[in-house]
Amino acid sequence: MSAPRKTVVVTGLDVTTAYGRGEDALWTGLGSGVPAFRAVDRFGTGRGRTNVAATLPGDPDLETELTAVVTNACDQAGLSETDRARTPLLLARHADGAVARLDVADQEHRPISLTARTVAAATGLFGPARTYTNACVAGTTAVIEGIMRIAAGEADRVVVAAGYLVDPDNFALFSAGRALAADGLLRPFSDKRQGLLLGDGVGAVVLESAESAERRSATVRAVLAGWGMAGDAFHVCQPHPRGEGMARAIESALRRAEWAPSDLGYVNCHGTGTKHNDASESAALHASALDDVPVSSTKSMHGHTLEASGLVELAVTILTLRHGRLPLNANYLGEDPECALRLVLDRDEKPTTDRALSLNAAFGGANAVLAVSAP
Amino acid sequence: MTRTDGLSELAWARWSAADGAPPALPGFVASDFAPSISDVADRVLSGGQASARTGLVLASSGGDLATAVATAEAVDAGKAPGALLFFQSVPNAVLGHIAKRWSLTGPVICLSPDSREQGEVEARSVARLLLRAGEADMVLMLLAEPGSAVAVLLEGDAS
Repeated sequence: MSAPRKTVVVTGLDVTTAYGRGEDALWTGLGSGVPAFRAVDRFGTGRGRTNVAATLPGDPDLETELTAVVTNACDQAGLSETDRARTPLLLARHADGAVARLDVADQEHRPISLTARTVAAATGLFGPARTYTNACVAGTTAVIEGIMRIAAGEADRVVVAAGYLVDPDNFALFSAGRALAADGLLRPFSDKRQGLLLGDGVGAVVLESAESAERRSATVRAVLAGWGMAGDAFHVCQPHPRGEGMARAIESALRRAEWAPSDLGYVNCHGTGTKHNDASESAALHASALDDVPVSSTKSMHGHTLEASGLVELAVTILTLRHGRLPLNANYLGEDPECALRLVLDRDEKPTTDRALSLNAAFGGANAVLAVSAP
Repeated sequence: MTRTDGLSELAWARWSAADGAPPALPGFVASDFAPSISDVADRVLSGGQASARTGLVLASSGGDLATAVATAEAVDAGKAPGALLFFQSVPNAVLGHIAKRWSLTGPVICLSPDSREQGEVEARSVARLLLRAGEADMVLMLLAEPGSAVAVLLEGDAS
C-alpha cells in the first residue's frame, strides 16, 4: 500500500509539567538549569528507593488538566466551535489506579478510553478517536497516528493529548523494580546514573495539514516532517543492547523527512537514566551516525512522564527550535564509555540547524521517533 | 479472507475462559491477561506465515486489570508490589515476549478502544494505517477482554 503525503504541521500547543502550567513555565524551568524534583507529598512513598519525583503542588486531577491543555491548544490554534466539532481527539494515558479499586462489576464500565470521551465532550471536540496505552511511547504513537491520518488525507486536523500524574501505584511499581534513582536525581547518559524519577506531564497539540492551516491563516508552530516506529524483538522489558529497534525507527523517521543525519541540530533523547536504556539508546544513535549531533534528555529536569513523554518532549523540541537554545542534559557526573554522545552540558549552546528528532522507547521493545522542524 | 477494509486475514485463534485457564507463561503472575494473549499469538504464529516486519497491535478496553488490582492491593496494604508486577504492569510487556519469541520487529502498539465492541474496528484501523504507511508488512491484531483473547494475522490486500 502506498500513501499520498500531505505536510503535517502543529498549530496549537500546551503543556503542563512540574515547572507549572503552560509552555512558558516549561521553557523557563528548563532554562533555569534547576531540576523540578522534590519530595512527594501527595501520597506516602513508604520505604521505597527514593521519596522524590517532579510533581506539581497538591493532587491535581488528570481529566481537569487534560481538559485545560486541550482547550488552550485549540485556542492557540484559533479553532472555532465549528472547527472543534469536526476534530477528533487522540489520547494517551495509563490505566487509572482508581478503577482497580472498584468492584469488578463497576470496572467493566470504566474503560481506559473513558477519559478521552470525557475530555472530548468537555472541550467541544468531535469525539474520542482512540486511546493509546503502550506505556512510554503512547504519546508519541498517538501523535504518529495523527500524522498518518492527515498525511494520508483521512483527516484535515486532529487533536492529540497525553497525560500522566505521579501516582502511588506506579511509584511503588517502579520502586519495586529498582528502577528509581536512589540518589534523587535523574542523570541521563552519565557515569554513576542510578535510574529514573517520575514526573507529572500533560500536553496537547493541534495537528493539521499545511493546506488546512493556510486556509485558516493559522500560525504554524512546527512541521512534523517524519516519523518512525519499530520493535526490538529482544525482551519483555529490556531494550536491545545494540539499540536495533530504535535505530530502525530513527532511519524510518529520517527517510520520511528526507533528512540526512548531518541535517539535525538536536535530538531530544528518551534518556531515562537507567543503565540499560541509556546504553541501548547510545548504541542506536551511533548506529544512526548521530553521535556528533547535540543531544539531551530533558527527563533530567522534568522527570519521566511515562505515557505523556511523547507530548511533553515534543513540546520541548518545538520550544528548542523556536527559542534557538538547547536544553540541558542535567545532573551529569562524567562520561560513561557506553554513552559517548555529544551531550548538551552548556546552558548557552545554540542549535546549528532548525531540524530535530524526539525519541521515545518503552517496555516490550517499542520505539517511536518524531522528526520536527521549525516552520 | 478479505474484508471491505482492505485487510486480508491469514490466520486466527481464539481463547475463552470457558476453555479453561490459558497455559502458564513464565515470568508473568497473578493474571490471565498475558498468558491468554501469548497463547493465541503462538497458535497463529506457529503457522509460519508472519514476516519479520510484522507489527503488533493490541486492543483492550481495560488492559490488565488483574495486575492493576494486585498492585493496588499491595499498595493499599502498605507492602511493596512484587517485582514481576512491575515488569508486566503495562500491556507492552507481553508484546515484547511475543516479538522476541517470534522475531517480529514491527511497531509495538496497545490501545483502549472507545468500547469493547469497538476493539476490532479500532485495531484494524491502526493496522491499516501501519500497512499503508509501509511501517509493517503484516500486523498481528490482538483483542483482549476479561475472559477472552483473539489473535488475527493481517496483511494489506496489495502486499
